[in-house]
Amino acid sequence: MTTEPGGTGPVTPAVGPPGATHPVTSHGGAALRRALGLRTVVSTSTGLAFAALEYLAAAGLVAYVAGDSAWIAIGTAGLLALLAWGFFGELNGMFPTAAAIRLYMKRSMDDRVALIITFTYMTTIILVIAADAFIVGSALSHAFNEPTWVAAIWIVGLLALAVGANLRGVHVAGGVQDVATYIVLAATLVIASAALLRSHAALRYPLQPLHGHHGTDFIEAVALGVFLYSAFEWVTTSAEEVRHPAHVHRGMLIAVGLLFVVCSVATVAMSHVLTHHQLTSAYPQLYLGQATFGQAGLWAMAAVTAVTALNTFNGGFITASRFVYGTAREGSLPRQLALLNDRAVPWVPVVALGAVSLVVALVVALTHGWQVLVAVGAALEAMIYCVAALCTVRLRTRAPDHHRPFRVRGLRVLGVVGVGLFGVLALVASVSVENKFNPVPLVIIAVAAALSAWYVLRVLPRVQAREAARRAATPRRRPPRPGTSATGPPPSVAS
Amino acid sequence: MSPCRPRRGERPVATSEEIAEAYADWRARSNENERLKKMVRGWDRRVHLSTTDTAEGYTLEVRDQVLSQLYPGHVGQPDLIVTGSSEDFCDMFWGDLNPSAKYMSGEITLAGSQEDVMRLDAISMVAFLDQ
Repeated sequence: MTTEPGGTGPVTPAVGPPGATHPVTSHGGAALRRALGLRTVVSTSTGLAFAALEYLAAAGLVAYVAGDSAWIAIGTAGLLALLAWGFFGELNGMFPTAAAIRLYMKRSMDDRVALIITFTYMTTIILVIAADAFIVGSALSHAFNEPTWVAAIWIVGLLALAVGANLRGVHVAGGVQDVATYIVLAATLVIASAALLRSHAALRYPLQPLHGHHGTDFIEAVALGVFLYSAFEWVTTSAEEVRHPAHVHRGMLIAVGLLFVVCSVATVAMSHVLTHHQLTSAYPQLYLGQATFGQAGLWAMAAVTAVTALNTFNGGFITASRFVYGTAREGSLPRQLALLNDRAVPWVPVVALGAVSLVVALVVALTHGWQVLVAVGAALEAMIYCVAALCTVRLRTRAPDHHRPFRVRGLRVLGVVGVGLFGVLALVASVSVENKFNPVPLVIIAVAAALSAWYVLRVLPRVQAREAARRAATPRRRPPRPGTSATGPPPSVAS
Repeated sequence: MSPCRPRRGERPVATSEEIAEAYADWRARSNENERLKKMVRGWDRRVHLSTTDTAEGYTLEVRDQVLSQLYPGHVGQPDLIVTGSSEDFCDMFWGDLNPSAKYMSGEITLAGSQEDVMRLDAISMVAFLDQ
């Protein structure tokens, strides 16, 4: 049945728009006209993890293990990423939605605790955007042989471009993202492999990660290695747009495999051909390219670095701003954060994200503290993996009958292992920078958590009270049904 | 057809007539809103609605910045699929319910790109709050 505009009663069925047949999908509805295939899911998952910061984290990892055997630490971190993949796979199967993190945390623990963790975790996105702006700015400045301070201009320009493009609703299409990600991976793999082959020097300690190091160094290397895979799980926010729900699960698994191969080869190659000074610079990948193919290699890696920023800025800005918008619309953040511009873009979160990222990027440029960012990112990522393990375990008890297309086998053991291991790795990563004890990352995380807690415990109740008052003052528009009260029962959540 | 009145303990359901009436109001408000027209410029999409409690389907379209009438059943291939209870759809079209909150609580589910989801939510918000 349908009505004409402004009509009130049932009328004859309307003639439908053209194309009245539709294929049916596995989830029972018609197939979406534009849906993401497995290739795009893999590229999204890999591309979100493979930010420009990846090269610095890989180079930084060499400080903890004998360089030629860095692949062992990366492989061990990969096994842990597989554990996290299992948890996220089960949770994503239960809640195949962009709001999954809110749903599974809300149902596993107190909502205030869930919000504090979520807001703290969102710090990672700001750090990654800021780090990428700094790295790409520094790399371009170095490639053009400009003075160091010019990097700050590049940073401002890059972030202004990213904010402007987002405000205008410009997004990287799935196909472009596929090409960009696979070019980055292929170029890195080719240049790193060529660096190893052209160095004419055999690997010295390919199977002895502890040579010249302590066991605790290896643990710190694994903690840093986890960061190399970090954000692969962000693709779960695309669960609503995939052609088949299982694509998310499979795509994440393939992404972990790709990241292991590319990061291992790149790290071993960097440790093999770069000096300590080059490894600890803000652009070790440029030196890798230069060591392999001279100036052409340097420019190739500068271009690759710029392309990584395309994925980071596109994915990071969209993920963070839409999450903030959704949370504000839900009533957990001030309504001003849900204001839209004429292109239906939540402009306040986009501008705020750009501004905060700019400040962080400039602070990093002044202090050269990019390894602190890597440590903060590694610790936050391990923390969220720990939380995912905890949520998976608790939901097995709290929602035993919930449909689970994918279940982690042996969760009773693996869940405890996940919570314990990721918890320890988060702690280790938060107090270690460049193989030295440094509590700055822990302090940064503690400040972010304290601000989140202050907002959730002190400010949010006032925001919610204002919202409730506004709702109560707004009369219902829906006409009452015959036989019910004039106003009818209030809807559970008003506009 | 009279509105569906629930028995004691049952959740109320909205009839297709109630949903159509609510949608007509929403459509009129949306199509009259100049700001909303700017927001959906170039955004031509087809949306399928599915009710979980009454197992009914509807189709709506946005074409050339205009919201179409509500078609019965699922027609054509959608860009976006929205699933929720009939009451939620009815309240949403009347502007009495915030679909985002229902979405964040998992009571309304969606299939489609995040961008399309944003635009649809923008329509529901701007049509009533003009933000």
